[in-house]
Amino acid sequence: MRKLIKITAILAAVSFCATFALAAEGGNPKKGKYLFKKNCKTCHVANAEGGALTPLSKTMSQWDRFFDRDKHKSKPEVWAGYQEQDLKDIQQFLYDHAADSDQPQTCG
Amino acid sequence: MRKLFTLLFVGLLLIPGTAMSATTEELQKKVDQMTEDINYLMDRLDKAELHTATDRITFTGDFRTKADTLHYQDTTWNPGVYVDLNQFAADVFSDPAAWGFDPVAGAIVPGSPLEAFAMAFPGHAAAFFSGAFPPVGGLSMLGLDLGVPTPKGDIDNDILYTTRLRLNMKAKVANNVDFAGRLTMFKNWGDSTGIKVFDSWDAFTTDGTNGGNTTGDWLRVERAYFNWKDIGGSKFYLSIGRRPSTYGPPSEIRENELRGGTPSGHLVHFNFDGITVGYHLAELTGIEGMTARLCYGQGFESQLGNGELFNQIATEDTHLGGLNLDVYNDGSTLIQLTAFGAWDVVDGFKGTFAFPAQFLPLFAPNINQDAANFPNMNFMVRYQPSTVIGDMILGGLGFQREEENGLKYFLSLGWTRLQSNGKAGLFGGMGSDNLYQAALVDTNGDGTNDNIVPVPTNRVVDDSDQDGYGIYVGTQIPVPMGKIGLEYNYGSKYWTPFTQAQDDILGSKLATRGHVGEAYYIFDVNSNMFLKFGGIYYDYEYTNSGSPVGTPRKVSDVLAGSAFNLLPVVDKAWDGYASITIKF
Repeated sequence: MRKLIKITAILAAVSFCATFALAAEGGNPKKGKYLFKKNCKTCHVANAEGGALTPLSKTMSQWDRFFDRDKHKSKPEVWAGYQEQDLKDIQQFLYDHAADSDQPQTCG
Repeated sequence: MRKLFTLLFVGLLLIPGTAMSATTEELQKKVDQMTEDINYLMDRLDKAELHTATDRITFTGDFRTKADTLHYQDTTWNPGVYVDLNQFAADVFSDPAAWGFDPVAGAIVPGSPLEAFAMAFPGHAAAFFSGAFPPVGGLSMLGLDLGVPTPKGDIDNDILYTTRLRLNMKAKVANNVDFAGRLTMFKNWGDSTGIKVFDSWDAFTTDGTNGGNTTGDWLRVERAYFNWKDIGGSKFYLSIGRRPSTYGPPSEIRENELRGGTPSGHLVHFNFDGITVGYHLAELTGIEGMTARLCYGQGFESQLGNGELFNQIATEDTHLGGLNLDVYNDGSTLIQLTAFGAWDVVDGFKGTFAFPAQFLPLFAPNINQDAANFPNMNFMVRYQPSTVIGDMILGGLGFQREEENGLKYFLSLGWTRLQSNGKAGLFGGMGSDNLYQAALVDTNGDGTNDNIVPVPTNRVVDDSDQDGYGIYVGTQIPVPMGKIGLEYNYGSKYWTPFTQAQDDILGSKLATRGHVGEAYYIFDVNSNMFLKFGGIYYDYEYTNSGSPVGTPRKVSDVLAGSAFNLLPVVDKAWDGYASITIKF
């Protein structure tokens, strides 16, 4: 029993030194969802200018690449309208719900 | 790809003036090289596309190793039966000579069956003849007299290790059809027998609970179903198969996962095979995430495999059906309503267990004599229910919310109703024990009755409808590097949900007829890995948690010797655990 407590205490200490990855440091996915629905969805729906786009349209890495390199270059003026924190929030939302992210497991 | 070529081409054009003096030959060489590179890339792309197109199933999963320390406080085994004493009295006084009672003298006849009974159970006999007996009275199967308690004790399992591997499968069938499933291995270290000695309903591996019961080193199909969505362009969907009916809300919070199943995890945590027809109502009602689901399943197959060709089957199939409504679901708040029923419920489930040696003297005295030669070997038994015992209705309302800062909290209220049809099997009927009747017996084969034994009537002691209630409440608070969780649930005397597939070693905590508290600390090592340390404390108030069969008795009465239960009874227990889970 004592050994078990010692081992788990060491494991706990080790894990404190570990870090975990976020797509964008300090991005709030709930705010990001609100911003995405309010802004991006005006163009990014079927038959509209941007074409249908949802978080499921890309993988986590593809979203990260989009925010790090592409930065919406097909229409840069869209990007300019956002604060840095807004972009982080939207990025985190899209990353969290990307095609290869965890999804709720329900039928339908 | 096109962009790359465009860039290369533009790059070529933007080469500074000195390069413009390069010969045509050199340019041609560069173009040839680029063409070769493009062809090589196309080959590689073809191979990748081939691999993606033929790689039909996507596997993801998780792997958990857990260490538990388990402690049971005040456990006892006091098996007994409940006898119709009114009937006994009526029988004795209608034919006193047969039973051995002299109505004139008001005394027991020496050498009679009544005398044999009175000598074995003097306390019972005294109460009976004083007229101070209840309509139904308990009689110990261990031969203990009225009110004599059985020994009670504590049980410690200092360390138990378990490993769980879950492989999720996903495959695309068509644009609006997909397949999903999960294979699960759940074992405790050093055990792959897949069968346990029957000392509680949890030791009984059944179709509905095997995902939460340690079996062995093989993968079972915990869920396998297809989703056929947007049927005919509508919002209807159809899903058939082994349902995603475990880890439903709010029980996924303590697992550090997203919603793991469709129905309320407070009422249903049970693998069952069935059909769901759903409709996404959000567009119609304007309420985000509103989805209605009608579910149907079969929990028991009464014929195939039960020796049906002998044409003596007395049971019926058990059908389950109900409504599950996500009233509101926007990813932060979920309100869920559940209502379902089970019809023609039988006394147990089909399953296998190892027959406990402790039952042999009670139920199989002839075999017991020989079996005493090998006390550490147990017969493997395939149990099948014998009797349809009634119907059940269950309902619940759940609310859970996640704040922007990650704080989660939830409340779920549940109700269950047991509706007996009056019949009982060996372990009892719906919420009520099998009613036994006193009968005369000839134990020494000399042609005359010399003793009294209880025989089952296969009717219940009490066939009234019984309501049970449950509450499940909790919170999860983000802290540096992880989360702290606190949960509490309570179940009343007749609380009978279908949560027996929860993998808590001491038994489904949400099925407890009593109080349960849990506290845990999750360390998120990274987004795919976490450690969890915690403890669960169970305070059982009534027996038979998780089972609709038999009368729930007060645990304190069983410990005091004034009530009986066929299986061992536990008063309090706690489970301290540490686990590490990786997701991939």
